[in-house]
Amino acid sequence: MDSLQLQALLPFIVLASASVVIILLIAARQSHTVIQITGFLMMCLVVLAMWYVRDVLPRAIMPLLVVDGMAAVFTGLIVFCVLIIGLFSFIYFEEREENPKEYYILIFLGTLGAAVLTISRHFISVFIGLELLSISLYALIAYLRNRNNAVEAGMKYLVLAAMSSAFLLFGMALIYMDTGSMDFDGIAKQLQTQGHSPALFVTGIGLMMVAVCFKLALVPFHLWAADVYQGAPVPVTNFIATVSKIGVFAVLVRFAQAVQLQSYHFAVIIISFVAIVSMVGGNLLAIKQQNIKRLLAYSSIAHLGYLLVAFLPGNAAGIEAGMFYLFAYSITLLAAFGIVTMLSGRQADADQLEAYRGLYWRNPLMGAILTVALLSLAGIPLTAGFIGKFAVLNAGVQQQLWLPVIVLVITSVIGLYYYLRIISTLFAETQVIFPKEKSLHPLFVAGTYGALLVLLILLLGAGIFPSAVIDGIKNFLCQGFRIINF
Amino acid sequence: MSLLFYISSVVAIVATLLVITCHRPIHALLYLVVSFLAVSMIFLSLGAPFVAVLEVILYAGAIIVLLIFVVMMLNLGQEAALQEKQWLQPKVWVGPSILVAVLLLEMSILLLRGESAAIQPAVDMKRISLVLFKEYVIAVELVGFLLMAGIVGAAHIGKHKKKHPHRFLQNGKENGHADNNENNKEVKPGELLKEEMIHN
Repeated sequence: MDSLQLQALLPFIVLASASVVIILLIAARQSHTVIQITGFLMMCLVVLAMWYVRDVLPRAIMPLLVVDGMAAVFTGLIVFCVLIIGLFSFIYFEEREENPKEYYILIFLGTLGAAVLTISRHFISVFIGLELLSISLYALIAYLRNRNNAVEAGMKYLVLAAMSSAFLLFGMALIYMDTGSMDFDGIAKQLQTQGHSPALFVTGIGLMMVAVCFKLALVPFHLWAADVYQGAPVPVTNFIATVSKIGVFAVLVRFAQAVQLQSYHFAVIIISFVAIVSMVGGNLLAIKQQNIKRLLAYSSIAHLGYLLVAFLPGNAAGIEAGMFYLFAYSITLLAAFGIVTMLSGRQADADQLEAYRGLYWRNPLMGAILTVALLSLAGIPLTAGFIGKFAVLNAGVQQQLWLPVIVLVITSVIGLYYYLRIISTLFAETQVIFPKEKSLHPLFVAGTYGALLVLLILLLGAGIFPSAVIDGIKNFLCQGFRIINF
Repeated sequence: MSLLFYISSVVAIVATLLVITCHRPIHALLYLVVSFLAVSMIFLSLGAPFVAVLEVILYAGAIIVLLIFVVMMLNLGQEAALQEKQWLQPKVWVGPSILVAVLLLEMSILLLRGESAAIQPAVDMKRISLVLFKEYVIAVELVGFLLMAGIVGAAHIGKHKKKHPHRFLQNGKENGHADNNENNKEVKPGELLKEEMIHN
């Protein structure tokens, strides 16, 4: 490994060392505040490192990894999400019964797993990254281990994720058996010389799609989503909804790009089917929900379905649309779950819809932020969600994928119903007086409000001036494509 | 040789099913050893003696011995001797022995017939080390982080001491000792075993 390769890996090395630093701080018996601030600074350091190494970027570290523009965009998004989630975690875990320190180790390890996924070009690194992510998640979901919901959710996730890992491994083994290679480019080369799509390869792709759909909570494999979202602590729910999905989607995009997945008829049929049933299923299941965490879980199933529509064309426009959509979706969910975190009391999370009645009159700022987030999820103009949906539709229409596009439009209308239902609750009259029991460090409350405001500005900014974000993504992607042209 | 593969696979599946259905941890561990041995036999029948030996040394050897030590040490006390006597009744070890005998038979067939894939020259140690620590060194380091995640998670979830009891427990204490047994869900594994033994 030469120095340029090491330099390209610098952000990931810093990210990996973050968890070690936290362990050392725990060994030195530092307080929650110190750990929180150090974690925040380490994440800032990762961002700085990424900025520092941007010139060496399209660089492959054979045989496992490749750091290119696409990886930079996805990793940047992941680190940004973790920065915000880390801020929300402080106020959440400060008033819980568990010792919150190990939480930060696990969350940084999970982030490392997701980041490794974004730079993988080999089955081995894909599998290790995915396992790193899911093993951290088992413990994170059951972190409040004296609460029945959390333990149940952790157990469910453990069993189902282990099952999906088995599917993934079996699929990888079949593809390896067929092509004799485990790195993406090698598989692609072998497939080109074979000329046709053999049965083993098709079966392998099918099995791997099971695992990917499980991780993305797409419809035939979505059963865990609502329970896990409900049982996990709110910041962890936020982590699952954003970071783990970004990582898995990144690896899916890279693999599809290498083997030209969308040129296979069967793959397009499978993905369209999954996308359509996810959009319909997610939205229909969300309609009757009274629990806001479950509702957001079902809505995220539907949103991942929309994302697959952007994935279907398999061209540069589709990837750009997918990235923008993921960006919009992540900041929206961060804001929505941020409000849930802020409202959660000492005993239970604020997950019942009743807790939100008249929120706007009690706390106008939080009410406004949640309203904008929900409007963005619904895809109303002037928010990032609208531009994201527009980009996805644009990519789909260009390739004349009429059926998924029509389903997307129809299900968006269904989605509008339940988002507006929550918004109307926010503005309803309320007689109940909610006691205030906050005695937290004012710095962190201010920091959390600051993060929420930044998210609000991003949501509206990306909705009103989307060109800045889209150009940024395009610039990075051009860097990424340079390595393919060589 | 595919027959041998299928037989050892069946043994592995049966042993693993018994692991998760066995009531006592120590009996489950016995079957776990059998399960590892069966997996190792699968590798041997497929012509990968190096992996087979590693499986035996690492899993069936080191890890299981550690587990057995921990389980044995959880309950030290007067009842321990009685308990161990109960654990070592013939019906306990007959099951694993039969399964292991099947595996032994398979291995002797494989080795005696001689011409099979198992007798291929073993992979050179040096080549494996070079690949692991040169080409795939990043993977090895990442696996280190993977283990760290597992250990930190297990340490957190398995921790005994509790600063803030759950509200059910708090109620139980206030109500006195009458319903202590129903409400006191948080018992140490050692105590659980003792209780169980008293019932027996």
